[in-house]
Amino acid sequence: MTAARTEILSKLRRALAAGTPFPQAETVDTSRPVVPINPDENLLARFCSEVERVRGIIHLADSTDAALAALRSVLHSNDVTRTMCWDAPHLPFDGVTNLLATQGIEIIAGTNEVVETAQAGITGCDWAIAATGTLVLSSGPGRSRMASLLPPIHVALMRSSQLIPRLEDWVASRYADRLQQIRTSSNITFITGSSRTSDIEMQPVFGVHGPLQIHIVILKDV
Amino acid sequence: MNASNSFKSSVVVALDDIQLQTALDRGTTRAVNGRISAMGETSAAPELRAQARAARLRALNQLPELLDTLERNVTANGGAVLWARTGAEANDTILQICREHGVRRVTKGKSMVTEESGLNHVLEAHDIEINESDLGEYIIQLAHEPPSHIVFPMLHKTKEATAELLHEKLGMPMTDKPEDMTRFVRGVMRRKYIEADLGISGVNFAIAETGTIITVENEGNNRLSCSTPKIHIAVMGLEKVLATWHDWTTLAQLLPRSATGQRMTVYTNLMSGPKREHEPDGPEKFYLLILDNGRSDMLAGEFAESLACIRCGACLNVCPVYQNIGGHAYGWVYPGPIGSIVSPLLQGIQKAPSLPYASSLCGACQAACPVDIAIPDMLLKLRRDLVKVHDPASASLPWRIGMRAWRIGMRSPLLYRIGGKLAAVGTRLLARNGKITRLPGILGGWTKSRDFPAFPAESFRERLAQKKKRVESQSRESE
Repeated sequence: MTAARTEILSKLRRALAAGTPFPQAETVDTSRPVVPINPDENLLARFCSEVERVRGIIHLADSTDAALAALRSVLHSNDVTRTMCWDAPHLPFDGVTNLLATQGIEIIAGTNEVVETAQAGITGCDWAIAATGTLVLSSGPGRSRMASLLPPIHVALMRSSQLIPRLEDWVASRYADRLQQIRTSSNITFITGSSRTSDIEMQPVFGVHGPLQIHIVILKDV
Repeated sequence: MNASNSFKSSVVVALDDIQLQTALDRGTTRAVNGRISAMGETSAAPELRAQARAARLRALNQLPELLDTLERNVTANGGAVLWARTGAEANDTILQICREHGVRRVTKGKSMVTEESGLNHVLEAHDIEINESDLGEYIIQLAHEPPSHIVFPMLHKTKEATAELLHEKLGMPMTDKPEDMTRFVRGVMRRKYIEADLGISGVNFAIAETGTIITVENEGNNRLSCSTPKIHIAVMGLEKVLATWHDWTTLAQLLPRSATGQRMTVYTNLMSGPKREHEPDGPEKFYLLILDNGRSDMLAGEFAESLACIRCGACLNVCPVYQNIGGHAYGWVYPGPIGSIVSPLLQGIQKAPSLPYASSLCGACQAACPVDIAIPDMLLKLRRDLVKVHDPASASLPWRIGMRAWRIGMRSPLLYRIGGKLAAVGTRLLARNGKITRLPGILGGWTKSRDFPAFPAESFRERLAQKKKRVESQSRESE
């Protein structure tokens, strides 16, 4: 194994010993975002239309109560009795665990065999990217990565203040913080719509191995 | 049968396969249109391409340092880095991990490098069940076929053929709806994820500065393969590394746009080692296997630029040759224009002597390439190298006589003119409606798979001379 490592690296070093194969590449600045976005654009409106384009379902709420009501209605209309759910401190507003308890909806955790029976996964998110309708979810204590993946329905909860314009802004603003976050979480997932495939004759089909439906409940706070 | 004949006969079969032609036509048309509209909506497309190209080439400039940094950071994140010189070494390493942890069942997300190494056969030979988890990869695994496209593995299959296969192998009720087939496979695959001891994935990008690997996908199968089993092995070709997260944001814009015409794929998955102490789920062990398999040799030569490829498949979709023969005719893991470069270089040029010729050099591939790889140029260089490998003295006698005659004719303007005249008369005698469907004698090979046009009565030189005369007389008149 170390023999393979040594041999590969020394072959690469030998290959480059004659000089830099592509010196011209060193002069291009890649830290500058280039995909344009209209600075006056309403981020919330853009986010919602992008999500709907990729078959996500948006629920806008003006108050915490309205947001909880939207969550309850999603769970009820899908006959959900068992959920995977992020711990309360990682959700964007209070009252979710209380709501589940009063509605008799179970929160389950444990082995794959157990969590596989969950009918919905409830998560928060770190950021939401307006230009592409993308949610950013990092893993951590109380933040299951399976909750947004295994159940047939994913309900993501967020506040409108979590919106950022573009993917590049996630990295470019506060670079050092970002690196720290990437090192701390074993997994950061960018989710854009519900799972899909185009494998059969390149015809889009929604709902493959991941969730069949994604609901995003947005509490307007700006 | 030698490698060159096998390519030609595969092409003949492919061109006559009506199902294949239907599937190729439907698939490549959709893919090309998707890419054009996704790239067209950003006014910054040329600048984005320039940045992406620079990010990839800069990584190649400092490959050993970046891999070293990547290893250090993966290790700091709690993962382990393994190295393999060849595909066989990679398979052995994975087998070793399976033995160590008593692995019986494996799910695999899409990975072209494990196609290079033939991992599935090796694991199966050791009684380890391995299931492809990408819908298309799973379906062709059922059919015992290799992928025919690096992004759309079952591009060669129509939905009708897919339904028949699923019906026959798994008892799916017959349907012509891709939705029903997809839902059926979802049900079948669920148990496999839950029961798997090991998940294997490919790597789209690896970011050196944090020791993170990134996969992009739409189905969720790759996320499941990397999250549900206790062990995750990610396998990467050593060229996949990038220096910084800035470089990644550039490429993250281009890969989905070029591959599937999406701005972002449904899932972009960043993985930095095994699950942390208090995280509720994720793999307990994380291995990153870095594979060379001929790549370090490529870095040394004039084909190094082809290592910048991000495997989006855009060059396949636009290539008139790929559009007509599909992926299997190319005979190895990587088809299409980029495959015609990479396959001979990774396997040895003698093993794929026809591939550098499987191109009209029209340049559509380079125009579509998100990192602007000079594919036509490299194909020409490979042809030059092939001539060196194939000693001209070993060619057949008629070939040698023909080339000798050509050389003499091309050196003398008089002989060139006479030759052209003879060809014009001769071809017009043989032609029907301006086309010759069968050339005589040893020339017949040319017309086996295409027509030969009759030469026009007037040669270019004759027309040019007449035009000159006309122009001169006109200008005299106007004076």
